Amino acid sequence: MDHAVIQLIVSGALMGLVYALVAYGFQLTYATSKSINFGQGELVMLSAFVSLTLTNTGLPYYLMIPGGLLFGVIAGLFVERAGVRLALEQKSEGWILMTIILGLFGISAAENIWGRDDRPFPTPIPTEPIQFFGVSITPLEISVAVGVVLIMVVIELFKRKTLLGKAFEAVSADRDAAELMGISATRTIMLSYGLSGLVAALAGILVSPITTVGPTMASALVLKAFSVAVVAGLESGFGVVIVGLFLGSLESLTSFYVGSGWREAPGLVLLILALAIRPTGIFGKAVIRKV
Amino acid sequence: MLKRLILIRGIEVLMVLLLASIPLVVNNSFVLGLLTLLAIYGILLIGLDITVGYLGLVNLAQAAFLGLGAYAGALTVTQLGFDMLSALLVSTVIGLVMGGLLAFPSLRLEGPQFALATLSFSALSATVLNEWESLTLGAQGLQLHRPPLFGFVLDSKGFYWLCLCFLGLVWMAMRNLLSSQWGRAFEALRDSPIATDAMGIGTYRHKVTAFALGSGLGGLAGGLYAFNFEYLQPHVFVYELMVILLLGVVLGGRKSLWGAFVGAVLIVLLPNLLSNRLLFQIFSATGFLLALGAGGMALYQKRTKLFQAAAPIIAMGLLVTGSFTVQNTEDWRKAIFALMLFSVVVGLPEGLMGFASRFLSRIFSIDPESFAPPSLLEEVLVRKDVDGAPLLQIQDLKCYFGGIKAVDGVSLTVAAGTIHGLIGPNGSGKSTLVNLVSGLYVPTGGTIQFQGKPLVQGSLFAVAQQGISRTFQNLQLFSELTALDNVMVSMKGYYRSALPLVLMGLAKRDEKRAEADSLALLEMVGLTGQARIPAKDLPYGAQRFLEIARAVARRPTLLILDEPAAGLAHPDVVTLLAIIRRIHQQGITVILIEHHMDVVSELCDTATVLDGGRIIAEGIPEDIRRNPLVIEAYLGKGSEPPPVAAERPGTLEPVAA
Repeated sequence: MDHAVIQLIVSGALMGLVYALVAYGFQLTYATSKSINFGQGELVMLSAFVSLTLTNTGLPYYLMIPGGLLFGVIAGLFVERAGVRLALEQKSEGWILMTIILGLFGISAAENIWGRDDRPFPTPIPTEPIQFFGVSITPLEISVAVGVVLIMVVIELFKRKTLLGKAFEAVSADRDAAELMGISATRTIMLSYGLSGLVAALAGILVSPITTVGPTMASALVLKAFSVAVVAGLESGFGVVIVGLFLGSLESLTSFYVGSGWREAPGLVLLILALAIRPTGIFGKAVIRKV
Repeated sequence: MLKRLILIRGIEVLMVLLLASIPLVVNNSFVLGLLTLLAIYGILLIGLDITVGYLGLVNLAQAAFLGLGAYAGALTVTQLGFDMLSALLVSTVIGLVMGGLLAFPSLRLEGPQFALATLSFSALSATVLNEWESLTLGAQGLQLHRPPLFGFVLDSKGFYWLCLCFLGLVWMAMRNLLSSQWGRAFEALRDSPIATDAMGIGTYRHKVTAFALGSGLGGLAGGLYAFNFEYLQPHVFVYELMVILLLGVVLGGRKSLWGAFVGAVLIVLLPNLLSNRLLFQIFSATGFLLALGAGGMALYQKRTKLFQAAAPIIAMGLLVTGSFTVQNTEDWRKAIFALMLFSVVVGLPEGLMGFASRFLSRIFSIDPESFAPPSLLEEVLVRKDVDGAPLLQIQDLKCYFGGIKAVDGVSLTVAAGTIHGLIGPNGSGKSTLVNLVSGLYVPTGGTIQFQGKPLVQGSLFAVAQQGISRTFQNLQLFSELTALDNVMVSMKGYYRSALPLVLMGLAKRDEKRAEADSLALLEMVGLTGQARIPAKDLPYGAQRFLEIARAVARRPTLLILDEPAAGLAHPDVVTLLAIIRRIHQQGITVILIEHHMDVVSELCDTATVLDGGRIIAEGIPEDIRRNPLVIEAYLGKGSEPPPVAAERPGTLEPVAA
């Protein structure tokens, strides 16, 4: 393989980590409530815009981050309250439509508040490429990779080591049994949506300096995150990273060899193929139906 | 009967005549354009309603099928010189085929995967339409001329009437379909996919067919769309249109042809509504007042939760505020759709037509159609001659869940014509065993033979097809269907008419026969009087009996009853015994899983006792009751056999329950 191909794979894979992060946001809520936020991409976009606005008020970069993350958490909680809870109470799949609606509202609000144009997102992290064995990577791209891995490790540790995290695992294992043990499923689901919002906000902050910020910045991103989540299975945190890396590089190669208009195609084809061949995902487990 | 026909069909005919005559009276190309679009969207939404309404799935691909149908129609005309009808046929077939191809993989799972797959499909088809420039000319757009129909080129008036004709045809075909076995099956699989398979109706193939049909209608609408506008651009058929279409279906009212029509009217008028400020203000204020009135009333009467009442009021309030404050309503188009859709989904989930039909049914009370007289039970369940030969042979069957050995090497033979009891304490593996035989679980090891042939494993549907029928310990009725429909949908061997015949309304004779025979089965379980009551509203005992009637509607060789007496009151248990005996008289072999030892001794010829996934005893019930191993399994060590039960077999006192 020559350097150009390796270069394509590496930079694609780094982008793939962002897909993995957004897909991880789906997994967090799917674990507790078997629901996901179809407007997750809009959450990424809105958080990026809010962070940009915070930066423009003169807040230093590293102080802006907590602000952006806080917005993500609040937005995530709002989605749970306004779009998901009622449907879960009615045991219906109404949350699909509701979260789509909330996302559409978010796009429209962003278009009118911040305008339809893409804007640059300033970052103090240098963008001059560094050479690693002939492959050039920017510190910015490294910061994305580090950020993604770090947040996922922290959340996984939280889920495994803390009492609240164990409650999270308990609700995802068996909601009714957890309720009988005195764990409030509603609060745990809120927590998962809050965390999912946080993850979305971080994805927005990490990816914006590379992609620029605009109302449609996340519409392609979220489709690929859907693919990653379905292909990996909606249960495996480790799986999304692997599949994210793979899809990112595949896409970068497609875009180079077939044409940039086709760059979305591999993810979409992979998703439909995964459903055809292994509907629970590569790393997913089959569910035992009880009657 | 006649009154019903006149009212329902009469309104439809009046509406068609009214719509058809407008262009004769009003000579206005703008109005004509809206009417044509109305007819096209009507077809599109009827198609979308099949998945969104009847299957209860969120389908985000209908806009893509509109686009694919439009391009297919346009390209066959520009490239191949097709005439109108053959081009429309191609559009429809493209929708059908692509819909089927998408449905095959994506409908296997419950949950969000289907919505995700349709979303991806939409994005993929948009990519293809945009990027395959040699064929579609991409973003530049595709120009075409309306092709001739039987040699005549239609003007816009003629084309409108053609669209209206198609809408009428689609309407009639859908009504025929939905009032047939297909319509019942759609509703059944939404209520309980497991029971739909276990009754041999087939969840998957009905879902795939329904989705393909809906997509075919999307394709047809697309073809008409192309010949209406004579110019196509890929960016029209995107996400935003999809949301508008969903708004149309949900606001109009799901599961209703009229709902789809009302929804189409709405989305045709929507752009005009947004461009006129005053109209928009009036519209949003009306919506706000409605939300306020309905929400306030519901809260006052404590019919609803705070969120369901308050959320639409807030959303509509935002809409009103917006209608007075924002500079350009066009810019906020998406937010306006979102607020409207949000309010409807939360506050008016049954849609405008659902809401209206509640009032209309109060004003025009129409007597339901009377039933055909029930058939004779002897004719419905033709008595089978049984010879006592082995019917079901299970050899060394195993089923492990991780480390748990739920069934651990069970061998068992059920003789034809017997009632075979299967008993054992909780967690002994009875239900797992039954789930293995009926195909819900795939065994870890071992073989099952039915009528001397290996039984298909791991498919409820295939097992049901082979003549095994079952009930469920936790009821799996089709809760929204009436008692009669629950039985009718499960009748085996009645619905022979092919789908095209059903669409043309030529399957009425099958329906009548199935109805009469189903009534005989309802009579057998004593539910004739409750035939029209939705299953979910029946008392508990009646629901148990209905499940048995439904299982017998399969006219099975082997009937498996999974704890039919669980939770029944004493008089109901007596009725149950009579029902099971009646079924058995007709030569149907029964496996009876039961906790009530007395029910077992009363009915069963043989009983098998399971404990810890293994067989611990087998024989006639009398011996089983005295078997020390069985007593130990039920009551623990050191217990004496209960003397009363042993002396008075056949009474209804539970020995162990």
